Amino acid sequence: MGSERKRARRYALLSGKGGVGKSIITANLAATLSTFGRRILVIDADLGLASLDVILGITPVSTIQESFRGEQSIEQVLQSTRGFDFVPAASGLPEGTVLTERLTAGVESAIAALEERYDAILFDAGAGIGDVVMFFAGLADEIMLVVTPEPTCLMDTYATIKVLYHTHGTRDFLLVVNQSGPSPASADAGERIAAHLQEVISSHFESQETDPVRIRLAGSIPVDTAVKHSVMRRRLLGETNPDAPATRALTRLAAFIDAAIRNRKTP
Amino acid sequence: MSEDHPRDWKNLDLTAACRILENAGRRDPASVSKDPSEQLQYIINSLCDLSVHDGLTGLVNATFFHAVLNREIERSMRTAGTCGLMVIDIDHFKNVNDTYGHSVGDKVIQSVAAQMKKSMRSMDTAARIGGEEFAIILPDCTPEDALKAATRIHASLNPFTATIDDIVLKLTTSVGLVWTDPNATSITSSVMLSLADQEMYMAKRSGRGRMCYRHTEPIFVSSHEKSALMNISFEERLNG
Repeated sequence: MGSERKRARRYALLSGKGGVGKSIITANLAATLSTFGRRILVIDADLGLASLDVILGITPVSTIQESFRGEQSIEQVLQSTRGFDFVPAASGLPEGTVLTERLTAGVESAIAALEERYDAILFDAGAGIGDVVMFFAGLADEIMLVVTPEPTCLMDTYATIKVLYHTHGTRDFLLVVNQSGPSPASADAGERIAAHLQEVISSHFESQETDPVRIRLAGSIPVDTAVKHSVMRRRLLGETNPDAPATRALTRLAAFIDAAIRNRKTP
Repeated sequence: MSEDHPRDWKNLDLTAACRILENAGRRDPASVSKDPSEQLQYIINSLCDLSVHDGLTGLVNATFFHAVLNREIERSMRTAGTCGLMVIDIDHFKNVNDTYGHSVGDKVIQSVAAQMKKSMRSMDTAARIGGEEFAIILPDCTPEDALKAATRIHASLNPFTATIDDIVLKLTTSVGLVWTDPNATSITSSVMLSLADQEMYMAKRSGRGRMCYRHTEPIFVSSHEKSALMNISFEERLNG
């Protein structure tokens, strides 16, 4: 950690519950950030059920798992698309859900080899609080939780925050509320969910006076048929529906992250 | 090599593999045997042993440790019992390495490991999980048993005198202890290890040579938290 080397800002996109749109947000966020001139690397960190390649409409030549086994170098695995670089992962490999030394060493050496070239790295982690997800969370500077306004999702998000707080000492969380109501009211709904989570945490977690957990709303993405339209065509929102409400909301999310990358104090 | 072995075996250079393992410290009369079946058995035994154990201390390695811990956690959930986990770290170990060199440092690690083996129970599993960091799994015990076993191990290591050649070193170790909640629904080995690590760091911060502990219960969401969380209308998203 004490190294003077320039280090990319690392974001882990997590969700307690699956199917909340994490990978769609990761892909669109990376593409938009790259249009702002940011050098972005996306790592598909859902090593059991990778799907970013499907969303991006790419068929990977090789995957990060092949680099773990030494069959391919990380450079050979790396793909460029829409102005950003992407490390795909294999899907359907049960071994991707088990945290092995080979996996941790493979990921760490891939990041060490690549990160000097980028301003930010996005880990698109799997759902839940398994070992591999927690490992990627531990590598990240920022935890970005994707949540939809549903009871089960809120519950799982709260549990994820609690686990990260207790195991990793994480105190700052970025929240992205997806499908947060129809377009005009979506920002309000996002604020409401973030404030509610913050309130329950503040009144139930230990030592909140001295060491508070902070939930910051990074963005609210409205319910928008354009999202489904783009996913079905395996394209990004900016390509299929550049003016849709969800596209504009994702641009605002990207602007929020862009400002954070610009203003960061750590090397 | 005798003629009655399968043809393919003739091409296997078992003697060379035996030499490599022998040079790596796997001393055994079978390593100098000329009988291929004895040589092969020696190679298999050595490789199995190397895949599970840490070469320096003979304790189990980190990979095997996680497998055992996951198995014991699963068992404790199934039987509504408790599984304890200790993390032990040698205090100021860097000073030992910096002052006396790595060979003395390695011997200190070996003597701490030997002391741990002496003071733990027969059913416990001790592992070397990092440079000077160890873990001990305390399976199938009540929280009181875990605390008693861990207190005994901690006491045997604090202070701990290691005599390496003519150097006498007085050392302390910091210990973190956690145990699973019998009512817990799930916890993974790495989450449990992180919790034990946190306790160990707490022991370091509070003056070293100490043991800090807690059970893992606070990580679960209580019914109070659940009802507070659900106290929000989810309907509005549909109606705008």
